[in-house]
This record gives sequence, structure tokens and C-alpha cells, in this order.
Amino acid sequence: MAVDRREAAIPVAAPPAPTTEHAAGAAIRQSSLWQDAWRRFLQNKGAVVSAIIFIIMCLYCLLIPGFWKIPGIWTSLKDYDPNAVDFTQSYAGFSLDHPFSTDKFGRDLFARVAQGGQISIAIGFAATFMILVIGILYGSISGFVGGKLDNGMMRFLDALYGLPYLPFAIITTQILSPSGSVSVWTMVVALTIASWFTAARVVRGQVITLKENDYVRAAKAVGARWYRVLARHILPNTLGILVIAIFLELPGVVLGEAFLSFIGLGINPPTASWGSIAQDGREAFRLHPEVLFIPCLAIATLVLCANFIADGLRDALDPRTRETG
Amino acid sequence: MAVLEVNDLKTHFFTREGVVQAVDGISFSLEKGKTLGIVGESGCGKSVTALSIMGLIPKPPARIVGGEVLFDGKDLTKLSEGEMQHIRGNEVAMIFQDPMTSLNPTLKIGTQITETILAHRDVSKQEARKRAVDLLKEVGIPRAAERLDDYPHRFSGGMRQRVMIAIALSCGPRLLIADEPTTALDVTIQAQILDLLDALRQEHDMAMILITHDMGVVAETADDVMIMYAGQIVEQASGYELFDNPEHPYTEALLGALPQLEGDEREIREGRLIAIPGRPPDLVDPPEACRFAARCPYADYDDTCSTVEPQLREVRPGHWVRTAHPASERSGERETVNA
Amino acid sequence: MATFIIRRIIWTIPVVLLVIFMTFVMMKQIGGNPFRKTERNVPPAIQANLERKFNLDKPWYQQYAYYVKDVATFDLGPSMSQRTRTVNDIIKDGFPKSLKLGILAFLWAVVLGIPLGVLAALKPNSIFDYFAMFFSTIGFALPSFFVATLLIYYVALKSGLVPTNGWPQGFFQFDNRIILPSFALGLFPMAYFARLVRGSMLETMQQDYVRTARAKGLPHKRVIGLHVLRNSLIPAVTATAPLLGLIITGTFIIEIIFSIPGIGRYFINSVFNRDFSVVMGITVLTSLIIIIANLFVDIMYGFLDPRTRDVR
Repeated sequence: MAVDRREAAIPVAAPPAPTTEHAAGAAIRQSSLWQDAWRRFLQNKGAVVSAIIFIIMCLYCLLIPGFWKIPGIWTSLKDYDPNAVDFTQSYAGFSLDHPFSTDKFGRDLFARVAQGGQISIAIGFAATFMILVIGILYGSISGFVGGKLDNGMMRFLDALYGLPYLPFAIITTQILSPSGSVSVWTMVVALTIASWFTAARVVRGQVITLKENDYVRAAKAVGARWYRVLARHILPNTLGILVIAIFLELPGVVLGEAFLSFIGLGINPPTASWGSIAQDGREAFRLHPEVLFIPCLAIATLVLCANFIADGLRDALDPRTRETG
Repeated sequence: MAVLEVNDLKTHFFTREGVVQAVDGISFSLEKGKTLGIVGESGCGKSVTALSIMGLIPKPPARIVGGEVLFDGKDLTKLSEGEMQHIRGNEVAMIFQDPMTSLNPTLKIGTQITETILAHRDVSKQEARKRAVDLLKEVGIPRAAERLDDYPHRFSGGMRQRVMIAIALSCGPRLLIADEPTTALDVTIQAQILDLLDALRQEHDMAMILITHDMGVVAETADDVMIMYAGQIVEQASGYELFDNPEHPYTEALLGALPQLEGDEREIREGRLIAIPGRPPDLVDPPEACRFAARCPYADYDDTCSTVEPQLREVRPGHWVRTAHPASERSGERETVNA
Repeated sequence: MATFIIRRIIWTIPVVLLVIFMTFVMMKQIGGNPFRKTERNVPPAIQANLERKFNLDKPWYQQYAYYVKDVATFDLGPSMSQRTRTVNDIIKDGFPKSLKLGILAFLWAVVLGIPLGVLAALKPNSIFDYFAMFFSTIGFALPSFFVATLLIYYVALKSGLVPTNGWPQGFFQFDNRIILPSFALGLFPMAYFARLVRGSMLETMQQDYVRTARAKGLPHKRVIGLHVLRNSLIPAVTATAPLLGLIITGTFIIEIIFSIPGIGRYFINSVFNRDFSVVMGITVLTSLIIIIANLFVDIMYGFLDPRTRDVR
């Protein structure tokens, strides 16, 4: 869900002074900055643990669903096929064969949640990526050109904040998939359209701050063209902010997909996504809560990890926000 | 009659990286109506000294581990927080370096003055307001009555500092501590504020401690001057005495670091600002010997500077120095300062 | 200040137009003429009536214009699936319920969340702080539909303390059915406020002017209660605007789960039923509410932080 906390969370920090030797127009050498930031990030235990969990989760989603195809690895290969329906195994409960139990159709949840994760995380990253791209385009043009265009673009953006997130996303999915079954790409587009505003604002803020910096003026004074200035000087310095933004947008998008799928207006079964599995789990929830619980826990874990990573990145890239002893 | 007497004050910061001995045995006394200037570079412990007197050091990492602070005979370090609250702002007041951040941006300055008065005096709100207007007039703010309801961001830097001074004076304190009151201001405003402080001090017969890193600031106004370095006092004398006859190599360097405005024209143009090379020692593990030795142009291999900690001694009546090489005892040519 | 408000209000118009346009496109995209496509037998005479009523026989831009005019006069048309009711009826019925849900949720968030954050900041790194932040981290990360279902399962079903669904009829009627849904909805904002206020207070307490306040010998209560608290709450007020938006859209989910007959549930059901007029009507309404809420928060912010007043 798009929340404006991201605006407050992302520091509109002045970028570090560039290293001494650079010709106007050359890219800024940032190596020592990134190494410093990396070191600081590693000091933040919460962030590091979260990052590890996040990577494990991604690996789980990527690898598990395909495991059953590898001969000789598992004794009962069929058990790990996320789509293998076996009514005898319906709601089998936790066991070694089914570490996450099974759903109504006897599909193993361990594999199914992994499969669902592929889709949910993929939607998450795809939408986040698109949000950032649109945000960068909009924000950098608005911030860089400034003046009346900036004013107009920002007013337009302000107005867009009045659009209610959920109804808007729902309407967009309905427009794009009139037949009623929502595809992955439809979700991505819908979620993107509903949440790109914050990213645009943040990028614009950063661009405006950077624009006033001396090295940008120096580049302009030497006659560098605007696109060169933008590409080589301003955008690399927004990189840090953007990486933070990725991890702040991701939870919102994943939650959005979960919400929509849960109420049936998003990804629907049998396609697995965390939201659609939760939707499945809703009916037999009173007797077999695990079908609902597990995808929700997966979502919660992702949200938590992403937030901690974002916090860690923010502290690493802008040490001034640290509380001093 | 001493308003304030500090004896062997020690304040340490207990941090993860170790114990920072920020203030390590400071002693001085201050008479009524006099000004003491404390000079030193950043990190030497002068602000921590002031905060220790006020009891405002951040209690989790910091603690006063030794010594006493006698105000009117009472040891402030032994008082409870409640008792200290009666003294702060009331009998001892403090103003800080940056007036922009030291005033609450969301409260009117009138409120910020009257709340001090109302906290310490049993008067009505109207009386407090009237007093606030008088104070603003006294510190030289025009149209005082109207400006009482303005917010801090409506004032310039110098004006804001005047407001801070007004707040400090509101309950007629007997001691005013000014921690770098002019550092954040323009040079021309600096002079005004210092003059104002001096005039007010004389009029109200207050004792004042003026903390700064700038020798020029204390030159005009201080009766006594104390030079601090790395948590210790390295020189202590009356103002005139210190400027006329500096003893400690650090003091000499500080005086040498002042830009010359008088004298030979070529000297002015071509004379370099003498910077003191090196940095102060890490106070987590201060050197056991003279703390200035690493940067001192007179320290030598075979003298006691790196083995024995020099004690504060009186080289002339009223003039104390902590060094093995005071100016008056140096023979032979001066070595040049290492560039 | 006045110009600021007026300008903001003026800018709501394009937004509403955009919203109408989008729902309009959706309608065209999916159905065209919903009446012919439904399985219900609609007698031809009535069908012709309905078509005329909805202007479905006219070109699309005219239909759009008609609808805009209708919205401007607060006539949102009849429901396409519930033939006896107009959209206005539905809204009149459901909106107070959703509003109450939202207000209660917000109250939970403010009454529990903010003090939690304040107390945690006053005793940083204590056991209380640790638990408070743990609790708020959970509230922050768990999807609200999950929390809602959990609550239904453990609190309502297992213990039988409260019923699992339903909602009191009157706006000023309160019974124990309001507890779980409003709590489930308010959990995220609550957690958000707690974390935000805690961080904000810790930061404010480091500020120079707090040091000045202490140097003035002000009693501790005043230092915290006035100097620290007022400045710490400013970010919380700023956060209220998006949180209100979240609460508003969150009601949709909560209403479905708890079977509360509010506009959220009507909206979702209308999407399934292809009842476009209801969909449009509710979307426009939600949009207006969000805009008003944002405006309100902006004005509040102007009051709290005097620095912004002069800038405008």
C-alpha cells in the first residue's frame, strides 16, 4: 500500500563531495563512498540478518518449485510438484513429506508457496521497477527543467494523490482484463499506476537539491549539454536513494497484490500467488488455518525484511541520520 | 567573595568505545561581578565543564566522577534533579552557541521568556509578560511589546541571541554561563553581543563565564582567563597578564594564530596564519605525560615531557601554568614552529 | 491561507473528472450494455427505459458528459444490479457504517499508538520499549486481512466473546461487534504511529532547544509535555493524511471479511456484479473523502508549525 512515509524516510541528503580529480563531464568516482556505505551496512545487524533472510526466501521461491523435476533428488518426486492434485492428501497436516502441509486439493504447500512467491515477488519487483522508471522520468524532468513545467507537473501530481489506491487499482485491473481473469502483467501495470506518485516526488526533490550543487554548475559552465549533466552527474548521485526506494516500495506492492488476490479481484487460483493461496485458505480457515497462515507469514516476512534492509541502507548511505551516542 | 568554586572536577563519558575523560581535574573560582574566560579548541572539555556545572550533561553516557562544584557553598553535584531545577534558569543561567536551534521554533518567544519567569517566581501571567517586555527592551530589541508574540524564525541571528540573553536574565541570576555565544554570528554582530553581555553583567553585578575558542573574544571582556587543553587547564591568569606574558606553548600558539591587523604592512600581507599542527589526543586513552607534547615545539627527546605529567604551578603570583617549558624559563633561541 | 484552500479545492475537480473517466472506460471496456448481457430477464420495455435512463443509446462522449453533470448535482444514478435502489440510496445506507468503522480505527491508532510511542521514547531500550516496538513491528508487517482472520478465529470463534460479523445499524449505536473490525483496521496505523512517534521524540529530545528548556530550569513535565511533544507530533500529523487514505481503502477489505454492509463491501460486490454506477459512485465518493482528508491535514499542519504559515 502506498504510504507517504517513504517521502519522510528517504533523506534528501546532499551528495558527498566528488573526489578531487575529475574533468567536467566525466562521471563522478564514487568507489570510496560505496565501500564506506557497504561497510556501514554490514555493521547493522538487523539489516544484515534481514538481507540474508530475504535472499534465502528468494532462493526458496526460485528453486523449490522446480526441484521435483530433478531426478534422483527426492524419493517421492510428486510430492513437491506445486500443481499435483491428489485428493487423498487433502489437508494432510505437517509432516516431512509436506513441511507446510497441503491444501484442499492435496497440493503440497511447501512447493506451492514457493511457486506463489515467484509470482508475488516477481510482481513486486516488476512493479517496483516500473514505478521507479516512471518516477525517475517524471521526477527528473520536472525537477531539472523547473519553472512553470515543474509547477504544473507537481500540481498534477498533487491532484493524483486524491485517487483512492484500492478502487483505482481494481478499476485498472478490470479495464485491462475484461474477461475477468487477471494476468500477472495486468497486476503489475495496475499496481504501478496506482503507486508511482511518491517515487516521482522523491526523485524530483533529489534532482532539485542536486541541481544547485556546484559541480553541476561547473559542468554547465563548461558547456556540457543538459542530458549529459543529467545522466552523468545527477542521476548517479540519486542511485543510493533509488536503492532505498526499491526496498520501500516492494512491500507496498506485494501487499497490494495480496489484498487484491485475497478478495478475488487479482490473481485467482489455480495460479499460485501468495494472495491467491490465502484466498484458497480462507474457506477452510476454521479447521485448517495453515493454508491461510503460511502465505500471510511469507508476506509479513518479506515486508519486514524489506523494511529493515531499507532502514539499514538509509543509515549506511546517510550517516548523519544516526543517533549520536 | 566567590560565587562559584570548582574543585578538581572530573566528568567522564562511558561509551562503547571506552571511557572518555572529557574533563579531568578542573579547578577555578569566580568572584561576584567578574568575568572568567575559558578558551580552548573543540573537544577540549570547556563545554562539558559548563554543562557539568549546570548538571546538564547527558546522564546515561556521562557522569561526574569526582570533584565538587560549590555555588554559594552548596555542592551542585550532590543536589537532586528537583533541587537543580530550582537553580537552573534562576540563580545560574546559560546561553548557548546557536540561537537558531536553541529556541523552540513552534513557540512564541514571549512564551519562552515567560515560562522561565513563571517557573521560578510566583507572579501572574500579566506580570510575567510585562517583565518579558522590559527584558526585551533591555537587550535592545526594538518594538518589544509587539515582538513578544513573534516566532523565532522572524528574528535575525543577532536578535535571537539577544532573546536568549533576555531569557537567561529573566530571573536575575547571579551567574551567567555563555557557551560560545558569538560563534554562530557575524563578526559585527559579535562585537555588539559581547558589549551587551558586558554591560548587563556590570549592571546586574553578575558573575559570568565566557566560553570560546577565539582569543579575540576574551581579550576585551575577561577579568581572568583559563586556557583548556585535552580536558585539563594548561594556563590560568588574569586577562592582562595572560595576553602580555603568555607562558604555555599552546597559549603562545593561540595568540600567534590571530590574524594581525596592526603593525608592519608587509607583515600583514605576507605573514602567514600560524596553525598549530597536529590534533588533540584521544581522551579515551590520554597520554600519561604532558598532553600537549606531541604538538609542542619545545618538547624534546630527553626531557620530562613524555614521561612525567606536568602539574599546574604558579610561575608568577596569580599566574598558573601546566608545562615543563613555560616561556619565562626558556633559555636560548626559540625554535621555529614546525610547519 | 484562504487562497491555499481554494486552490486545493479547485484542483479536486480534475481529479474527480479523471476518476469518472476511468470508471467510464472500465464500463465501456467490459460491458457496453450490461442489460443485454445479464442472465436476468429484463422485459424489453423496462430495458428500453433503463437504456434511455443511462443514456446508453447515445455516443460515449455524451454519456460521459451526462454523467459528469449528474455527479455535479449529486445524482449518481440507479444501481444497475439492484433495480430498486439508486446509488445514492446505497451510499446513504453504507457510508455511515464505513465512516464509523474508519473513525473507530483511527481512534484506536491515535489512542493506543501515539501514547505507546511516547512512552517507549521516554524509556528507551527498556523492556517496555522492546515489547512496544516488537508489537508495533508485527502490526506493521502483517497484512490486515490476515490479522482480521486471526482475530475472528481466535477471539471470536474460540472464545466466543464477540460475534464474528455484522455491524450495528445506527450510527450512534455501539455494541461489541465494532471491536474486532475497527481494531483490525486500526492496527497498521497504530503500529505506524507508535514507531513514528517514538523515533520522532527520540530525535526531538536531542535538539538544542530542549537543552535550553532544561537549562531554564523548567519542570520535567513541561519540557517533555510541551517542548518535546508538540514538535514530535508534527511528523505524526503529516503522516495522518496517507494513513487516512489507507484506512479508507482498508475498510474495503475489512468489510468483506467481517460482512459489514458498508460501501466497501458494496464496491467489491458491485465489481463482481458489473454494477458500474455503484462502482463509479463509490469511487468518486472515496476520492472526495481522501481529498478532504488531505486538505484537513494540511490545514492542521499549518496550525502546528508556524514556520509554514509565512511560507504560504
